[in-house]
Amino acid sequence: MKIVEKCKQNINHICFGLIAVALAIVPPLISAGSVSTPTGIFLGKCIAFAIVAIGLDLIWGYTGILSLGHGLYFALGGYAMAMYLKLSATGGKITEFMHTGGLTELPLIWEPFNNLPAAIALMIIVPGLLAGIVGYFIFKNRVKGVYFSIISQALTWAAYSVFIALSPYTNGNVGITEIKSVLGSIRGGANQGNLFTLFYIALGVLILIYALSAYLVSTKFGKLLVAIRDGENRTYFSGYKVSRYKNFVYVLSAVIAAVAGAIFVNFNGSITPSQMTISYSITMVIWVAIGGRGTLVGAVLGAFIMNLCEYNLSSGALAEVWQYIIGGIFCIAILFFKGGIVGLFKEQIPARIRKLTNRRSKEGAENG
Amino acid sequence: MARPMLGLVPDHRTQDINVLKINGISVVFDGFSALSEVNVEVRRNTVHFFIGPNGAGKTTLLDIICAKTKPTSGTVYFYPKSRSPVRLTGMKEHSIVNEGVARKFQVPSVFVNLTVLENMILSLKGHKGVLDSIFHRPENDDFDDIDRILERVDLRERKQVKAGSLAHGEKQWLEIAMQLVQKPEIIMLDEPAAGMGKPETEKTGEILREIKKTCTVIVVEHDMEFVKQAADTVTVLHEGKVLAEGAIDDVLADQTVQAVYLGRGGGEPPQTNVN
Repeated sequence: MKIVEKCKQNINHICFGLIAVALAIVPPLISAGSVSTPTGIFLGKCIAFAIVAIGLDLIWGYTGILSLGHGLYFALGGYAMAMYLKLSATGGKITEFMHTGGLTELPLIWEPFNNLPAAIALMIIVPGLLAGIVGYFIFKNRVKGVYFSIISQALTWAAYSVFIALSPYTNGNVGITEIKSVLGSIRGGANQGNLFTLFYIALGVLILIYALSAYLVSTKFGKLLVAIRDGENRTYFSGYKVSRYKNFVYVLSAVIAAVAGAIFVNFNGSITPSQMTISYSITMVIWVAIGGRGTLVGAVLGAFIMNLCEYNLSSGALAEVWQYIIGGIFCIAILFFKGGIVGLFKEQIPARIRKLTNRRSKEGAENG
Repeated sequence: MARPMLGLVPDHRTQDINVLKINGISVVFDGFSALSEVNVEVRRNTVHFFIGPNGAGKTTLLDIICAKTKPTSGTVYFYPKSRSPVRLTGMKEHSIVNEGVARKFQVPSVFVNLTVLENMILSLKGHKGVLDSIFHRPENDDFDDIDRILERVDLRERKQVKAGSLAHGEKQWLEIAMQLVQKPEIIMLDEPAAGMGKPETEKTGEILREIKKTCTVIVVEHDMEFVKQAADTVTVLHEGKVLAEGAIDDVLADQTVQAVYLGRGGGEPPQTNVN
């Protein structure tokens, strides 16, 4: 009985465990030939999406702050990684697009990206610092709700414009392309080993970030996030400096998004400013909404399910209408399934069953 | 009204008797004067009621004390038991709470998605920083405190219940309990008996009388029965001014107060006010 109770309490973690195990057997399936290499690479990207979804869930699902601009942090992490990968492809020399842009030497801001530890440090520090500064002013001035969402969008839009405008440094619209992963190429049969290693590294990062987030939400800190979501005023008058908590979780989710962006680039082989757009940011929010906000496993599930659907449906007959389908699913989820897929299985279906059995037993009593 | 001429320098000599001094507080909202020149002293370990018709400025006064609203002029001083006086005006909400002035809101505001126990843990005194909230665990003493306080409001058996599924009266008590566990020196309650039936109201009165042994209780209330049951001192506010102050019987015998409460002064009868 005790074991059953324990399982019930930790059902979310068990679900996540199952997802992790399913992912872990993907590489053997690729070698066996039952999963294609492109699908494997795609699943690698999904891992990155699941990571950014966890970060978004912390800030939106738990704290109730709807950020519509996390694409910015995702892309910043992605660019940092891509700059390192590009330089390792050119051997630290100036790239072609810089030549075209009129530069003769490697720009100073590219210099640190010659070195992997420095690149990784910047990949975390730059988005973290940006989120910290922006968040400090936003939350100190008690900007919240839809106003925060609008500011987060505007910020993303501004950064997008800057990246397009600074094309000698960023290659503008095209973005940083023709790069390999940190382990070298992952495409083609000869490089399968690289793909597998990269895949397991990504999975490891996902598990680590899930575990860290699960720990955080289980502590008083996590309860406080929920408290801020449900009654911000009460939280102030319980003696908490709410703005500091909000800023902390904003920075945390930005850094998680940046890590996700870096993993994404390794699988994708390029990064473009389109990852920094508002619509891309909103897509991420949709994953969380559909998976089930306020549960970490919901965010992971949502990211995988929505992307797998898109992967399988967006080519072929449904290509044209796919965007409408996503929009429709989002509306239905918001209107009828507030808890997303997780809420559906954990609350709505059990509640319905309880209702049915109650009615049946009542009818039974009346008939008897 | 033994106030110095300038109204800015309060007389700190009375700090043994008084715990709070409201000093010439005025609030103007867009030209409407919600409070004008209010001076009140609250004695330590008493139950002090603020009553008055709708719009008298009672809730605004509580908002001023806990910094939810900024006064246009005037100051509020708090005299902690064995520390030097604290000027509350100009401080941030959370700092005032941590000084020892707690506030319960009119609409019960508990954290509905957390359990009763979690609500109480979040309200414990101290350790309010981000890192503390991640790494600090409440000690056994804290849990004993929580149990003792929950016992007082009859919620001990319901520790694991989500606060959202409590009855209205229970939520009110939980919110009072959440203030008590912070070990405040002053606890401010905005209509704690609102929406309660007679037995529940009486019980709330009993709770207040017990709380005042350890701290000072400031209450805003409409229900006269409740005021009569629990009050030590009553301040009547009317149109943003102090109309009368003193023991409940004296105040109710006052002619002007009667005029206000019987409607001749323009106010509604207090029992029907929902504010």
